Amino acid sequence: MAAPPPSAPSDPPPPPLQYSVLLQHLVGDKRQPRTWDPAALGGIPCPPKSEEQKMVERVMESCPFKAALACVGGFVLGGAFGIFTAGIDTNVGFDPKDPYRTPTAREVLKDMGQRGISYAKNFAIVGAMFSCTECVVESYRGKSDWKNSVLSGCITGGAIGFRAGLKAGLIGCGGFAAFSAAVDYYLR
Amino acid sequence: MTQACHRKCVPPHYKESELSKGECVCLDRCVAKYLEVHERMGKKLTELSLQDEELLKRMQQGTGTA
Repeated sequence: MAAPPPSAPSDPPPPPLQYSVLLQHLVGDKRQPRTWDPAALGGIPCPPKSEEQKMVERVMESCPFKAALACVGGFVLGGAFGIFTAGIDTNVGFDPKDPYRTPTAREVLKDMGQRGISYAKNFAIVGAMFSCTECVVESYRGKSDWKNSVLSGCITGGAIGFRAGLKAGLIGCGGFAAFSAAVDYYLR
Repeated sequence: MTQACHRKCVPPHYKESELSKGECVCLDRCVAKYLEVHERMGKKLTELSLQDEELLKRMQQGTGTA
């Protein structure tokens, strides 16, 4: 490994090359820090991202941000859905003593508000749970395909149904998983 | 490293140009593993070459005195 190179007779033979020392400098502890140029390493040259841009992107892709976004979206959607169903529900302001009385505007509005809020809260919680579990599952698996949404749908449905017993939990798991698989199939 | 991690982490059929979260996570792990393996192999090779050199030196000294 350390062969002395040929030299002129008058010069003293140079010391043999020590590959171990060379390797320390190349790949071992004595490496010098170097800046990596992506253009030289085979990447397409593009302007480097600033620190703020990287931080903003990191926040937008993080799991808590996605869960919060789904929560807010679910709240809005649930509110709209609740108000809509309150509008088509014929049971508002029903008085058993006088079944033919038309409900007052205040009663109708109050009922719409209550239903809207209750639906909105439910949708928000379900949306946040689904988004959070999907993000966590995707981070764990390291892949992004249809199985992520099915698995997280099962977990969310199971958690919601589990409060009413094990069987309801299993049914909720299957139903929600099928629903999210259908939505995923439609979206992809 | 780019080719190896691309082959492992990015599936051949895709519909979006942006990297999804799962792919980002996979690429982070791939690069970290690659660099760690590279460093460990370098240290091991250095160790082996040290042993080889000592053996060679001993042999040379042995033939020199003999």
